[in-house]
Amino acid sequence: MVISADLITGILSFLFTLLILSYLIGDNPLFRIAIYIFVGASSGYIASVAWWQVIWPRLVSPLMFGSMLEKGLLLIPLIGSILIFMKVSPRLAGMGRIAMAYIVGVGAAVTIAGALSGTLMPQVMGTINAFDLVAAAGRNIEAVEVVFNGALILAGTVFTLIYFHFGARPQADGSMKRFRLIEILSWGGHIFIGITLGAIFAGVYAAALTALIERIASLINFIGNFL
Amino acid sequence: MADVIKCPVCGESNLPDQEFCQYCQSRLQPLTGSLKGANDPIKPGQAPTKKNTAELEPILPQWLRDARDSARKSAEDNAAQAGSQPQESFNTSPPDLLAGLQSQSGSDEEETPDWLANITGAAPKAKKPQAESPEVRWVELGGAKDFPQEESAKEEPEEEPFTPSWLTGLTPTESSSDVKDELTDWFRQENDSQKSQQSSESQPAPFDTSFSASESSDTPDWLKKMAADNPQNDDALFSDASKVFETPSSDTPDWLRQMAAEDDNAPILSAGTFDAPTSTPSSSGDAQPDWLRAMADSQDRPQDALPTQSADSASFSELTFDEPPTGIASEAVKSATNDNVPDWMKGFQSTESEELVQSETPAWLKKEDEPAPSAETEAPAWLSSMPATESEPEQAPAQDDAAFGDIPSWLKAAAPQSSLYEESAAEDLPLPASDSSPDSPDWLNTFKSTEISFEGPPPAFTPDSQSNENIDALFAEMPDWLTNATDPSPSTSTSPIPAANTDENIAPGELPSWVQAMRPVDTGSARSSSSPSASGDRTLESRGALAGLQGVLPSVPGFTPTSKPKAYSIKLQASEEQQAHAGLLEQILAAETAPVPIASFSALTTSRNLRWFLSFALLAVITTVLFMRGQSFPMPVGVPREINGALQVSQSIPEGAPVLVAFDYEPARAGEMEATAAPIFNVLRQPNLTFISTNEMGSILAERFISGPLADPDQSGFQYLNLGYLPGGQMGIRAFAQNPTRTTPQLVDITSLSQFMALIIITDNADSARAWIEQTSSIGNAIPILIISSAQAAPMIQPYYESQQVGGLVSGLYGGAVFEQNNGGVPGITRTYWDAYSIGMLLAMALIVGGGLLNLALGLRDRAAMRESN
Repeated sequence: MVISADLITGILSFLFTLLILSYLIGDNPLFRIAIYIFVGASSGYIASVAWWQVIWPRLVSPLMFGSMLEKGLLLIPLIGSILIFMKVSPRLAGMGRIAMAYIVGVGAAVTIAGALSGTLMPQVMGTINAFDLVAAAGRNIEAVEVVFNGALILAGTVFTLIYFHFGARPQADGSMKRFRLIEILSWGGHIFIGITLGAIFAGVYAAALTALIERIASLINFIGNFL
Repeated sequence: MADVIKCPVCGESNLPDQEFCQYCQSRLQPLTGSLKGANDPIKPGQAPTKKNTAELEPILPQWLRDARDSARKSAEDNAAQAGSQPQESFNTSPPDLLAGLQSQSGSDEEETPDWLANITGAAPKAKKPQAESPEVRWVELGGAKDFPQEESAKEEPEEEPFTPSWLTGLTPTESSSDVKDELTDWFRQENDSQKSQQSSESQPAPFDTSFSASESSDTPDWLKKMAADNPQNDDALFSDASKVFETPSSDTPDWLRQMAAEDDNAPILSAGTFDAPTSTPSSSGDAQPDWLRAMADSQDRPQDALPTQSADSASFSELTFDEPPTGIASEAVKSATNDNVPDWMKGFQSTESEELVQSETPAWLKKEDEPAPSAETEAPAWLSSMPATESEPEQAPAQDDAAFGDIPSWLKAAAPQSSLYEESAAEDLPLPASDSSPDSPDWLNTFKSTEISFEGPPPAFTPDSQSNENIDALFAEMPDWLTNATDPSPSTSTSPIPAANTDENIAPGELPSWVQAMRPVDTGSARSSSSPSASGDRTLESRGALAGLQGVLPSVPGFTPTSKPKAYSIKLQASEEQQAHAGLLEQILAAETAPVPIASFSALTTSRNLRWFLSFALLAVITTVLFMRGQSFPMPVGVPREINGALQVSQSIPEGAPVLVAFDYEPARAGEMEATAAPIFNVLRQPNLTFISTNEMGSILAERFISGPLADPDQSGFQYLNLGYLPGGQMGIRAFAQNPTRTTPQLVDITSLSQFMALIIITDNADSARAWIEQTSSIGNAIPILIISSAQAAPMIQPYYESQQVGGLVSGLYGGAVFEQNNGGVPGITRTYWDAYSIGMLLAMALIVGGGLLNLALGLRDRAAMRESN
């Protein structure tokens, strides 16, 4: 029998799969061994990826072999990276605040701009256009369906937003109570949230079940290769 | 008398709390007291303490200080006249405290103390014409050479009646004139014999030789008796005394040498001990002894008449003539020259001579017939017989009280020198006179030197003879400093009186005088103790800041409780009802402090058996289904709109078109993602794939995906470029979307994101899909986005499809199965997993429904049971 890389890979995959599945009986050293090995392998791989795919080709190599313009432009990220590296020392951690401020500022700006232009406004427009029959006709969707789906989406969106509205008024007996309409709509939002969570749970279970099936199939295939 | 203190200087009465006399500003209270141990006797072997008494000068009365000053001046004048002559004996002779008294009497007559005036009566007037009386010099210098014998001889007939009674008592049974005659005859004979002896001897004759040669029948009986009483003690005494009592023979009286000659043991004495000076002039009067005449000559020619002395003789002179004037006074008594008696003594005698008869001669003189004072001065060998005279200590006190009743206190203080002899012979007192003389007053040094140097003279005054009662009675008018001189030490019966008197004015060496003056003294404390105290406490504080004070912290008498305090029970006496109420109160308080359990739902715990059962069931079912490779469950028929949109996007991608594929999922989701994405890539027609990932593991998952599910022979014709990891998260995506070439130099032909025909995002995370959607949708010329997501992220990504931001969404194994079902019916990996997936989903639904129903049934049962129980 020739020991190939696939065989070794298959054996290791089989063993580590069993170690991970041993968690069904509870926390045990086998599971921990598999976890530690996975963490170590992942860290090493990530470090190598950071060096070979980021630091070396994007910083070191241009500084060493790039043009003067590239070197001049790379001084800013070089200084920024050095300053961030100062955070390793508590005494010098303050020097990394400049680079961190730059990263946080740029990241927040990019995220907010992307959220506004990519999520908030399109979602608002999508909810509004849910009743767009013309667009629905262009997608071969019937009007009833468009209206129903649009209504359902609108209801779900509104009810869910109302559900997260916690404004209330004091009552005569001293208790706090929201408006009745808000209460009813929030109850509808509660249903939509419940359905969403159920869908998410179903999706999580489906994803986990698929992963389990893939692992068992791999085990069966590995064993089937020796049978 | 306790409330009034009489000034020792002016005699005026003062209040007891005054420190200085309000009339003459003299100190009423001495600076020192018994607290400082000033009155403690000097013990044998105790080294004398050098003390500075200069600060005590102001204590002395003005008249006395003036007298002392004049005495010093006269002494200095004499010293200046002395020239090169050895003056050790005379210079070191301490002047008496009363030195200069007579010399100042003429000029400072008004300052004469009252006590002197009382004693002498009209004596001050009588003293005036005596400008340079011999007694003045005698008092001043206190040495033997201060006796001007010539003048005394001239004035002898006139001054004879003024001899003090105690001096007259020295002549045992005869009147003063008889005594003088006898003594003068005796001395004259001795002088003659001395002359004959001196002519026969070329060298200074030793003391014993002179004694043996000068023996004659004229020697007084009492002297012969004294000399005969000490045959056995002479050896021991003069063996040591030979070193000490070396004196020029000129200072040795002839009668003493004659007495020494009578002694059987006299030859033991060294030849140089009492060498009779051959050069001593004997030009004095016939009635005077040679030594007195020699002294008179030395007084007139103090430096010239003195013979040259050797070193030994010099030491002898120092020791001998440092002696107090008392010894000299004794010799003056022996000479019975009335001109030597001071005026005040003459007055003293004039007032009391009628009361004193010749029979009042002291018994010690009667019995011993010895000239004790002379022995103190010269310390001859026969004086060593003094210990023998001490065998009669019982008779001395009574005799002394009677004999010295009229003697001034300062003479009394001088008298106990002989008593010191008693101790010095036994204890060998080593105190040298020269140590104490420089710092102490001269007259005190006189006393001290007497104590030290004299070992032989018999006790002229026993300490018992100076009882306090007699002294107080007789010398009530005397100054304190004089009366204190007569106070004997309580611990010693010998002659520490002068020393005590001296030490009393000497402050202890540790503390300066002004500090000691601030301290309470015994007199104050004694006076305060004598006064009735409020508390009656007589406790004397011995230490601390209150040292020396008495009754400062009085204790209340009778404060001590007389009976034992009553014992009270601490047990609470409470009835049952009170105890019940206390118990209730205690419960209420305990309830207030007791923690209230928070009502919460019981945590849903799964039993191990149930967990193992579910796990075993799921594994068994899936394993069985996979192992059976059955296709019992049909593939989904319907096509959701999102999957339909994905089909349209995938089918719209032209052949060989660049497609950007983002692998942003974790390795744990690789099985699902690969199963879901594989049908989509199978639809593509030889696309030019570019793999990129915002996850570090994405690049290797892409490689795995290419080498795994896509390793289908039918899909082997496509090309791919793995750009690897795209750092920066959303910023990296934004940068890549804006300029892919700058971000990923590997891209050669792609300068813009819009150059890609489609963007396929394979992710298991809704955030990753959202980041790609957000950062790429804002860029103009948007490209179709196809999202292949995990089933768990599909609900979150679905809105982006509804908003038409995403062209298609394929989620989970179901989406892949649908996509695969609609892709020409080619069975793929999805179909392999579909039965197991379907069974697993059914099992899960069954378990969830079954569990829910079971829980419902159990709940209904519990409720029914509770209802029945109620």
